[in-house]
Amino acid sequence: MSMRQGEGEANVAPKSKRPSDSAFKQQRLPAWQPVLTARTVLPTFFVIGVLFIPIGVVLLHLSNTANELVIDYTRCKSSDPGNAGITCADYLQANTGKQCNCNINFNLTSDFRGDVYMYYGLTNYYQNHRRYVKSRDDMQLLGQLSQTPSTDCAPFAYNPENQLPIAPCGAIANSLFNDTLKLTQGGVNINLLNTGIAWPSDKRVKFHNPEGSLSQALKGFSKPIFWQQGLDELDPQNPENNGFQNEDLIVWMRTAALPSFRKLYRRLDQTNNNYAKGLMAGEYTLNVEYRYPVVSFDGTKRMILSTTSVLGGKNPFLGIAYIVVGAICITLGLGLLLIHMRCSRSSNMEMINVNPHTQYS
Amino acid sequence: MPSVSRLRLSYRRTEFTGPGLLNAYDEDITSSAGFDAEDGERRVIILNGTQPVKYCNNRITTAKYNIISFLPSFLFEQFRRYSNCFFLLIALLQQIPDVSPTGRYTTLVPLMFILSVSAIKEIIEDVKRHRADNEINHRPIERLENGTWSTVRWSELTVGDIIKVTINTFFPADLIILSSSEPQAMCFIETANLDGETNLKIRQGVTATAGLLETKDLTMLQGRIECELPNRHLYEFNGVLREYGKQSVPLGNDQVLQRGAMLRNTAWVFAVVVYSGQETKLMKNSTSAPLKRSTVDKLTNTQILMLFMILISLCITSGLCNLFWTREHSETDWYLGLSDFKSMSLGYNLLTFFILYNNLIPISLQVTLELVRFLQAIFINYDIEMYYEPSDTPAMARTSNLNEELGMVKYIFSDKTGTLTQNVMAFKKCSIAGHVYIPQRTPEESLLVQNILRRHETAEVIEEFLVLLSVCHTVIPERGDEGIIYHAASPDERALVEGAHFFGYVFDTRTPEYVEINALGQRRRYQVLNVLEFTSARKRMSLIVRTPEGKIKLFCKGADSVIYERLSAHDLQYRDRTLQHLEEFASEGLRTLCLAVADIQPDVYEEWRNTYHKAATALQYRERKLEDAADLIEINLRLLGATAIEDRLQDGVPETIAALLDAGIFIWVLTGDKQETAINIGYSCKLISHAMDIIILNEESLDATRDVILRHFGEFKSSTANDTNVALVIDGTTLKYALSCDLRGDFQELCLLCRVVICCRVSPMQKAEVVEMVTQSTKAVTLAIGDGANDVAMIQKANVGIGISGVEGLQAACASDYSIAQFRFLQRLLLVHGAWNYARISKLILYSFYKNVCLYVIELWFALYSGWSGQILFERWTIGLYNVLFTAMPPFAMGLFEKFCTAETMLKYPMLYKPSQNAKFFNVKVFWIWIFNALLHSVFLFWLPMAAYTSDTIWKDGKTNDYLMMGNMVYTYVIVTVCLKAGLITNSWTWLTHVAIWGSIVIWFVFVVIYSHCFPFVNLGSNFPGMDIMLLSTPVFYLGLVLVPITTLLIDVICKLIHNTVFKTLTEAVRETEIRRNDLAEVMNEPRSSFTETARLLRNVFTRRANTRVETELELSHGYAFSQEEGGVVPQSIIIRSYDTNLPKPEGN
Repeated sequence: MSMRQGEGEANVAPKSKRPSDSAFKQQRLPAWQPVLTARTVLPTFFVIGVLFIPIGVVLLHLSNTANELVIDYTRCKSSDPGNAGITCADYLQANTGKQCNCNINFNLTSDFRGDVYMYYGLTNYYQNHRRYVKSRDDMQLLGQLSQTPSTDCAPFAYNPENQLPIAPCGAIANSLFNDTLKLTQGGVNINLLNTGIAWPSDKRVKFHNPEGSLSQALKGFSKPIFWQQGLDELDPQNPENNGFQNEDLIVWMRTAALPSFRKLYRRLDQTNNNYAKGLMAGEYTLNVEYRYPVVSFDGTKRMILSTTSVLGGKNPFLGIAYIVVGAICITLGLGLLLIHMRCSRSSNMEMINVNPHTQYS
Repeated sequence: MPSVSRLRLSYRRTEFTGPGLLNAYDEDITSSAGFDAEDGERRVIILNGTQPVKYCNNRITTAKYNIISFLPSFLFEQFRRYSNCFFLLIALLQQIPDVSPTGRYTTLVPLMFILSVSAIKEIIEDVKRHRADNEINHRPIERLENGTWSTVRWSELTVGDIIKVTINTFFPADLIILSSSEPQAMCFIETANLDGETNLKIRQGVTATAGLLETKDLTMLQGRIECELPNRHLYEFNGVLREYGKQSVPLGNDQVLQRGAMLRNTAWVFAVVVYSGQETKLMKNSTSAPLKRSTVDKLTNTQILMLFMILISLCITSGLCNLFWTREHSETDWYLGLSDFKSMSLGYNLLTFFILYNNLIPISLQVTLELVRFLQAIFINYDIEMYYEPSDTPAMARTSNLNEELGMVKYIFSDKTGTLTQNVMAFKKCSIAGHVYIPQRTPEESLLVQNILRRHETAEVIEEFLVLLSVCHTVIPERGDEGIIYHAASPDERALVEGAHFFGYVFDTRTPEYVEINALGQRRRYQVLNVLEFTSARKRMSLIVRTPEGKIKLFCKGADSVIYERLSAHDLQYRDRTLQHLEEFASEGLRTLCLAVADIQPDVYEEWRNTYHKAATALQYRERKLEDAADLIEINLRLLGATAIEDRLQDGVPETIAALLDAGIFIWVLTGDKQETAINIGYSCKLISHAMDIIILNEESLDATRDVILRHFGEFKSSTANDTNVALVIDGTTLKYALSCDLRGDFQELCLLCRVVICCRVSPMQKAEVVEMVTQSTKAVTLAIGDGANDVAMIQKANVGIGISGVEGLQAACASDYSIAQFRFLQRLLLVHGAWNYARISKLILYSFYKNVCLYVIELWFALYSGWSGQILFERWTIGLYNVLFTAMPPFAMGLFEKFCTAETMLKYPMLYKPSQNAKFFNVKVFWIWIFNALLHSVFLFWLPMAAYTSDTIWKDGKTNDYLMMGNMVYTYVIVTVCLKAGLITNSWTWLTHVAIWGSIVIWFVFVVIYSHCFPFVNLGSNFPGMDIMLLSTPVFYLGLVLVPITTLLIDVICKLIHNTVFKTLTEAVRETEIRRNDLAEVMNEPRSSFTETARLLRNVFTRRANTRVETELELSHGYAFSQEEGGVVPQSIIIRSYDTNLPKPEGN
C-alpha cells in the first residue's frame, strides 16, 4: 500500500503548465483565405449573368404556358326572378344570410389543356390578421371535441343564443367561404371534383372527424354562427369529405399570407371524355350561388380558371427577376472590369511597396 | 532604538504614500515611544498562551461566490445588465394572455438557456479562483506547538502563533520579528512586491527578544504584545511588548514583517503573528478590482440604447397604425370579430409590437460575446509563444471582457523593476587606468588578471582597483556549501563584490574590526577605521582602512560628478580616457560608478578623526556636520577607474519597445526608483536614444514647476510642430506639483506632446494618478503593466492592466486583467491577440446586430400587409430559435477563428495594429452602415419572395398555400443570406468556419423536416405538418434559393470589390501579398530609413536645449546609478560593525 502511494507521488511530480502545441490551440488551423478581387470575382459575375438570363427566359416561357382566366363576380347581376336588375351584392346586404344566384357567360379564347383548376379569389380580405390567424382550436379539428373550446376562439367560441360551444370554433372556420361556383357549357353541367384540393398532410394529420357518427358527436355543439348549414352537411354524399375532413374547410383553414389571395376550389373532372384534355376554347357559363358578403369591406370575389406549369400558376416574376439580375451582373461585370483596369496598376504598386515602416493609410 | 525608529518613520511620512494610503498621508502618527491607547481600541496578544479573544484565521479568499451565495449573487450580477432585464421584461410581458404574437415561452426559454450558459462559465471561473486561493492557503509554514516545530498550512495560522520563516519565502501574515539568524535580530526583506524598490530593507527585532535563538528560549517567552487594531496603513505600526517581570518595549514598523514581503539573505527568523488573513495590511489595502468595460462594450451599449429608441418609435408607429386600421375595419370586416375586442386599446397593442420587435436587440449577443471572449481568453492562455519555460508560466487572462481592448491600446504605462528589468545586477565591464576590461569565461582568460600577473605597467592600479571593490562596501559574506554567498542590501554592491571575486579578489571574512580578502591566493587584512556612508545627496561612499602594510587609505566610490571634483589636481593621467569610457558605458545603458583612492598621512588622519568624532556626537545638525567632516577627508583623490554594471533587462525588451513604438503606441515608464536608474534603463531598452532631446523636470516648488512647464510648453509651440522626438523625465516631487489643479492642464499637454515620458520616484498613488490623467484627458485606451504591489493601483486604474507573473510576487498578477511572464510577450498580446480579437469582436457585434435587424424588420414589412395586427410571418418557435440555433454558430466562428493576417505577419508589421488602435472596424459610422445594410437586405428578402408568390399557386398540382409557407420561404432565404454574409466577411475559413456556416443552413433544413412531424404528438407547430414536403417539392422555392441570396448579397459583393480595388487599405494589401506568395521576405527587406535620426542629430548640434541642471545632464551622459537603502533601521556603518563571519550562525532549532 505504501509503495503504491510512493509511486503515485512520483507520478504526480511537477506537471508542466506548458500549453500543448496543436494547430487548434495555437490558432494555426489551415484556412481557406478567399480574396475578393476583380480578378477572382469578375468571372463569377459573367458566369452568373450567362446562366441567369437563359434560366429567366425559360421561366418566363413556362409561366406563359400556364393559362389563366379571371372573372370578378362581386357585383354580378342577380338572375333570380324575384329581384332582377339588382346586383347580388346589394341583395345580400339587404337580406343577410340569404342566397342570390347569378350567371356569368364568358368566352374561353384559348384552349386550357392539361389539368384545369378552379380557384376563388378574395381581395382586401385580411386572413393574415393576428386575431384571425390564431382564432382556431386545433384539438377540435383533430376530432377531440371538448365542451370548452380553446380561448383563442373567442368571440366565436360559444353561440350567444344558446351558449352552446361552437364546432368548429373560431373566426377562421366561422368565415368559411360559402359561395357555390359551377361551370356549365351550353346548359350542361361540367363535373368538378371537390377532393384532392387540400394538402394531403393536412387531411392525413390535422383534420379528423370524431369516432362514430358525426351528427351524434356534434350533439351539444352549435354550428358556426355564420354558417347556413351544419358541419355534417358540408358534403353529405362523401363521408370522407364531410365534417372536419371537408377539403373546402381544410383549404380555408390554411390562412393566406396576403390580403389578396386565392384558394383552390375545384378540379376539372377529366374522366369525362369531353374534358379529358382540359377546357377547350368556347362559350361557358359560371353559375354562382352568391352567399358570401364582401362589399362591406370593399372586397372583391373572383373565379379563376387556371392550368399550371411546373412553377404552378401564371407568374412571370421569377423569369423577369432572373433576366434582370443576369443583365445587372453582366453590366456590373463590364463596369468593374473598366475600374479594375484603371486602378489595378496603382494597387499593385502599393502592394510591392509595403514594408514594416510604410505609413498606415 | 527608539530614536532610530522615529527617524525612519518621519522619513517614510515625507517620502511615501503607499497604495491606498492617501488618507494616511496627513494623519498624525502616534508616538512610537509607548502605546497607550484606551482599552478596546487595541489588540492584545498573549505570547505562548491562549488568546483572550478569538482572532480570524489566516485564510484568504478572493473568490466571488460560495455554494450558498452563488444563486442570489449570480442572478443579481446578471440582471444588473440592461439587456437581461429587458429580455426578462419581454418574457414577463409574454405571460399576459392575448398580447404576445409569439406565444408565452419563446423569450423565456432562450433566456434561461443563455443564463445557464453564463452560470456555467461563472462556475468554471470561480472554481479556478478557489483553487488559486487554496494553493496559497495550503502553503506550509513551521509553527511552534508545545515546544516543537510542526508544519501547518498558512490558513491554519492565527494571531499569537510563533512561527519560523526561512530564507526566500514569503511571510504568511503580518509578523513581529523576535530573533533571526543574523546578529542583533537583523533580517533582510525584499519589498519590491510592495513598493517597487530594488534594494533590500533591513528589519530588526527589539533587543529584548534578539537573544531567543533556540526553540527552548522561545517557549520560555512569557508576556503579551499590545498593538493597534488592524488598519490599512502600510508604513505604520504601533505596539508594545510587555514581558512579565520586565520593562515594556515599544514596537514600531521596523519590527514588522508584512505579508507580501519576502525574507532575503537571512537563513531564518522567529516571529509572532499579529495580523492574519483578511486583517493583514496587504489585504486591507487590496481593493476589489473595479469592473472594467471595454470601449467596444460601451459603444455597443449606446448603440443598443439607440436601437431601443428606434424600437420604441417603431412600436408607437405600429400601434397607432393598428389603431387607425382597426377603427376603419372593425365594423366592416365582419369575419375578424373585432368589434367586441380590447384590441382597440392602444396600450395592449404597444406591448404586442414591443414583443414583436424586441429582437431588434439581439438576445444572444451578450452571451455570445461572453462565451467568445471566454474562449478567446483560453486561446491567450494556450499561446505557446507566450509561455515562459524557465518559470513554467503560461500567459493568463484573468478577465475576459477586455480582449478587444488589447487591440486598441494607445498608451502603455510600464513599471521598471521586474517588468523591464530582471532586478539582477551583473558586473559587465570596468575601466582601469584607461583600459577597458571585460570579464571572460574564466579569470585566467581575462586580460585583467594576465596584466596583473605579467606586471603590466598599470598592474598596481589594477590591484588597488580590485582591493577597493572587495573592501569598500557593506556586503556580508557567508560561507556556504557552494562557495561564498554575499548578502547585500544593495544589489549594485553585490555585483561589484562578485565582480572582484571573479577576478580573484575574494572577500570572505568580515568582523567588526576588519575585513579579510583573498587576493589571488594571498590573504590580506584591512582594518576598517571609518565608514562614510552613502546617501543620495553625497552620491558616494568611502571607507578609511589601514592596509596590511600599515598605510592609511581612503577608498571612495561614487558618481563621476562627485568623484571628479574631488580628484587631486595632479592626477590627470586617466581622467579623459575614463570619462570617454563612462560615456561609452552609459550609451549602452550600463550603470556606472567611479572608483578613487587617497593615501592619508597618519597625522592628518588623527586630526580628522577628532573632527569626525565631534561631528558624530554633536547634538544638533549631526547629519550636516558629518557630511562636512567627510568632505574634509575626501579630497585629493586619485582616480582608479570606473565600473559598469548591467541592470539586466528582461529578454527582448528593446525589440518589444521598438515594435510597440512602431505600432503607434506611446510608452511611459513610471517607477519608484531613482531618476538616474530610470534614465539608464530608458537608454538600455532603446526607449530613449541619444538623438532625442530630454527634458528633465526636477523642481522643489509649485512656482518653479509652473515656470519650467510653461517654458518648455512655449518652446514646443515655437518649434516645428509634428516633430516631437522628445523625452520628458519628471520626478515624484515635481509631479506632485505638476498634477495640482492649476498646472494639470498644461502638464498634460506637455506630456502628450512628448514621445516618451519617464516618471521616477513616484508613489503607487501617483502612478495611478498619472494613468488616470491620461485616460481621462485623451479618452484613449491605456494599458498599465507592472509586477509589484506598488503597481496595483495603476493596473486597476488603466483600461487594461497587465501583471508580470511567475516571479514570486503575485499581487500585481492577481489585480491584473492579463498576466504574462515576460514583458516581451506584450508584443504578441497586443499586436496579435489584441488586434485579432478586436477585429473578431467588432465583426461579431456588427454581425449580430445585422442578422437580427435583417430578420425582424421583415415583421415590419409584413405588418404593412397584415393590417398592423402584429401577426408574425414565421412560426413562433422557428423565430425563437433563430438566435440560439440557426444563426448561433457563425458569430462564434467569426469570434474565434477569424484572422486577416497570420501572427507572424502581425508581428512583423506593427503598423497593422493601427486600424484597430484607431477603432476603424467598429464605430458609430460603421455600426449604422451595417444597420442600413441589414435594412436593405430585409427589403430584398421580403419583397422578392413575396413577388414570386403572389399567384398563391406554386405547385404543379395547383394547390394553394398559406402564410406560413411564405414565411418559411422567406425564413430560409434569410438564414441562407445571413450565413453567406457571414462567409463574405470572413477572411479565413477554417474547417470549423465551414461547419458553422454550412452547418447552420443544414440545421435549418433538418429542423424543418423534424418539426413538420411534431404535431399532433407534441402540441407544437400546429401549422407545420406537411411543410417539409410542400416546401421541398416546389421548384419556386429552389429558384428563389438561388435568386434571392445572390441578389441580396450582390450589393455587398460589389461594394467590397470596389473597396478592394480602389480604396485598398494596408491591411488588405498585406493580406493579399501574404496569400499570393507565402514568402514575405522580399517585401520586408526594404532598407530602413535612417533619415529622421540623422536629422535629429543634426538639429541637436545646432540647437541644444538649455537644460535645467548641468549636473544631471552630465550624470545622464555618464550613466551613474546606485541603489542603496537610505535612512533605514540600521545605518550602514552599524551593519559593517555588527557582523563577525568567523563566528557560527545560530541554527534556529
